[in-house]
Amino acid sequence: MATYCRPRTVSEVLAALANAEGRGRILVGGTDLLVHLRKDPFAPTVVVDIKSVNDLPPAVEIDDDVVRFGPTARMAEISGDPFIAGHLPALGASARVVGSIAIRNRATLVGNICNASPAADTVPALFVYGSTVTLTGPGGERTLPLVEFFVGPGQTRCGPDEIVIRIDVPIPDRGHRSAFQRLTRRRGVDLATVSVAAGVDADARIVLGLGCVGPTPLVTDASPPVDLTDPAAIEGAVEELVSIATPISDVRAARDYREAMVRVLAVRAVQSATAASGGVSS
Amino acid sequence: MPDENQKLSSSGPNAGTHRVVGQPVHRYGGVDRVTGAQRYLSDITFANAAHVAFATIPVGCAAIDAIDTSPAWAMPGVIAVVHADDLPQPVARFGVSHKDRPVIATKMVNYHGEPVVAVVAETEDEAHAAANAAVIHYTELPGVYGLDAALAGDAHLVQDPSVRPRDDLNSTNVLEQVEYAWGDVDSDGISSPTIIEDTYTFPMVTHFPIEPGGIVAAPTDDGGIEIYSPVQHPYLLQRTIADVWSIPLSRVRVIAPDPGGGFGGKQTPRYEPLIAFLALKTGRTCRLVLSLEEAFQLMRRSGCRIHARTGFSESGELAFHEMQVDFVVGAYADVAPRVMTKGSYVGAGPYRIPRVSINARAVLTNTVPSCAFRGFGAPQVGWATESQLDAGARALGLDSLEIRRRNLVEHDEAFIRGDYEARSDGRWHESLEKAAELIGWHEPTPSGRGRGIAVGIKPGATTGLSQSLVRLLYDGSAMAYAGTSDMGQGARTLWKQILADELGVDLDLITIISGDTNSVPFDLQTSASRSTVFMGNAVLAACEDIRDRVLKLYAEATGTAQSELAHSPGQLVTPSGAIALVEAAQTALGGLRGEFVGQGTCRLWGEKGHPLGGDAAFYEFNATAIEVEVDHATGEILLTKHVTVGDVGTEINPLQVVSQDEGAAIMGLGHSLMEQMLFDDNGQIVNLGAIDYRIPTFNDVALDMQTASIENNDGPGPYGCKGISEGALLCTAGAVGAAVADAVGTPVRELPITAERVWRTIRDANRDSPV
Repeated sequence: MATYCRPRTVSEVLAALANAEGRGRILVGGTDLLVHLRKDPFAPTVVVDIKSVNDLPPAVEIDDDVVRFGPTARMAEISGDPFIAGHLPALGASARVVGSIAIRNRATLVGNICNASPAADTVPALFVYGSTVTLTGPGGERTLPLVEFFVGPGQTRCGPDEIVIRIDVPIPDRGHRSAFQRLTRRRGVDLATVSVAAGVDADARIVLGLGCVGPTPLVTDASPPVDLTDPAAIEGAVEELVSIATPISDVRAARDYREAMVRVLAVRAVQSATAASGGVSS
Repeated sequence: MPDENQKLSSSGPNAGTHRVVGQPVHRYGGVDRVTGAQRYLSDITFANAAHVAFATIPVGCAAIDAIDTSPAWAMPGVIAVVHADDLPQPVARFGVSHKDRPVIATKMVNYHGEPVVAVVAETEDEAHAAANAAVIHYTELPGVYGLDAALAGDAHLVQDPSVRPRDDLNSTNVLEQVEYAWGDVDSDGISSPTIIEDTYTFPMVTHFPIEPGGIVAAPTDDGGIEIYSPVQHPYLLQRTIADVWSIPLSRVRVIAPDPGGGFGGKQTPRYEPLIAFLALKTGRTCRLVLSLEEAFQLMRRSGCRIHARTGFSESGELAFHEMQVDFVVGAYADVAPRVMTKGSYVGAGPYRIPRVSINARAVLTNTVPSCAFRGFGAPQVGWATESQLDAGARALGLDSLEIRRRNLVEHDEAFIRGDYEARSDGRWHESLEKAAELIGWHEPTPSGRGRGIAVGIKPGATTGLSQSLVRLLYDGSAMAYAGTSDMGQGARTLWKQILADELGVDLDLITIISGDTNSVPFDLQTSASRSTVFMGNAVLAACEDIRDRVLKLYAEATGTAQSELAHSPGQLVTPSGAIALVEAAQTALGGLRGEFVGQGTCRLWGEKGHPLGGDAAFYEFNATAIEVEVDHATGEILLTKHVTVGDVGTEINPLQVVSQDEGAAIMGLGHSLMEQMLFDDNGQIVNLGAIDYRIPTFNDVALDMQTASIENNDGPGPYGCKGISEGALLCTAGAVGAAVADAVGTPVRELPITAERVWRTIRDANRDSPV
């Protein structure tokens, strides 16, 4: 059976995790954790609720060149933030499709990365902005590129005695455009079958973040500059970039469908990002 | 024979006098349902209740070798750990038509989720922990999880022949089969200019009631038992418990709290005999509350595969229609053989066809036993027949509407021929034309979109018995005892409307009592959209009985000759004029006060030899028209319009008719577009639960959805009504399929029509005919 504690400071959190000897799980929104607990109700999990911790970084902090998200930044705040919509449109759009309204009122961005689902909606967008993640633990703070954070489905580089304290998303230069595309089995609340975030910089180089087409969310290298007025050029660049995808067949879709859809969504994401409206779509 | 009519006949003459009937009265209890105030089974507290949990194994077919219960017994709070060996031997089997379902898995596990061990403990958590600790040793067997495996020559037999000893088919997995044919059924020699031959599949889907359900059983001081279960058929449950445990009916009390959705999934007993045994054994009130996942393993619609061959004349008239229909019924019969016979009986649709041959089988597989589900077999077979009509139309250059115009039967014309013919009991062309009008069929289809129209038919109940008591109290309030389970369809509201008009009583002064076999008279069941007709007639008759009694006592009390009195809805007509019935009742009762009790019965007798046991009291007929936009790159479907029109006879409550039609139409989108239970090679359900078994949300509903009714006051129920709760789901798949085929140029023949299937269909069509 799970036990529960509610520390008041980050150091108390770290002490609770140390005492839990690898069985500690951080609770904020709980939208993933509670589902996991219900699947295995007899696991001796130690639930460490950090909602009352008073020395966490603020939920959302907008600086000159970076937006910092603390552990309590909820999807609803992110999806509704006009600054994020304007400067990090793919992130805003991806936060807007997580679960339902009720889930977005609870679920957090940090929780989304820590759950480490290959289908995590916000990760492809976080990737295209070059986000970093900062962890804190007994040995102090460390920061790593978000790309290096994921190890496999449900697995991250966050140690059992560490917590993610911050996600930093650099604000792109003027001229950078981005968009998010997602395919689901139904129009209401659903997990992604395939998702793609596209970032296009001022030199027309494309970076793609890809969801559900590998054991972790994936990010491509930047393409060479692409003639964005030429659909064939976009398709050609996308074709090169998505070669890193290694989708599997599962209950949501077959591999060949995912392979085809990651291309369709990637082209649409690039087109959507570079459309005159600077459109954001999902 | 008693004076009740062989066939139910319309009470039409009362039409026109209604004050409340025909009004969009808000559903009683509706607010409580949406606010969460309604007390479902799991909300009811029981003093000193013990809790039940089951242990299962993660395969669909296995021999149970040994069960080690000691680790379960060692857990805290455990009161009892029970498996088959602990029950009276041989372990009782029960069922409606086939007594094949054991009280608990006995020697074998025949589907994923079948309970093997039951634990009773002081708390729910302790029960689950102990069930988790029980060790079940088993040998997995080569179970049959699909039709081909089940029908193979050397297939594993889902049911040992000893379970069905007097059955010629017991060495196969065919549980029952039926053949319907008329005309010259050998079509080989018929030269039809257009012949369409194809195979269609319909998925296994689960009912997904928002309340999964549960059972509470409490032993009584007199050696009997009380069972609380949110069932559609309390009297069937009472009879089953009495039969299985040899208890007189008088000491089996079933209390059925209003179900939170039923859809046919809460008709038959499953775990109730086991929970009753646990209560009797432990002397404790035993409580089981099901999870959604457990509900998936309790109820589903039978999947179906239909091979069809259909001939058309040059002008699009149906020449012949042949079908081989195989229903995937699961591990135990439940009512699936009836689903098979009834669904395939109307399998050729409401059409004028000179030659028809339908061979249908109910095939056992190692999957969750299937049961009744809104539409009762008709949506499965109709999917194939409607798709065949559209394929014929495409081949002949006609559209969905035109081919149906040319084949749909007229009023009172036979659509099932042979010894037991069935005739149209409605003016069905009116529904078809109304649906076409509402979707704008005569206007050009917007670019990039496709349209389809389909019709569906389902026989209502073929026999039935509903009894009701109504009490008119001195103060002008009234009570009706009516055994219909109100599972969200709004039965209580209808009875109130009938009482309000017939007795002249305010709606808010009426109380409806149901769901308790100790106080409510017998009602066969809440199924087949029968209640408005059957229980409605019984309630109506009980009200008339009260008026008769008021008249007689009024005559006695006032010294008036009975012959000088008459009654009409809400009134007693006296020589000095009409007075309110309530006022007449008070005068009649006098100073001692008291009350009037009326009794009403509605009985439909069957017809010996009829393949369904009798002709249906009414048919549900529906026309559905759908317009879609298809994303050719992803296969995604956007519903732009969805129209349904039902032939309802009379709307007793127009708001409830719309609610039922909308609910059915949206539910129909489930099996049409996204729902399917998927099994792995070991027979485990791989999408067990809400995360990967997707049902439609309001975002999946058409941008424009409309429902409408045709009212010709031609039904057998009160005021000319018919049952209506299933119609709008019957032909959703056919309409969606036709619309998608219209949009992409090629039909999809497997349901659900997922984006992936549409994408595959488009890709394959492009491969076959490169541009």
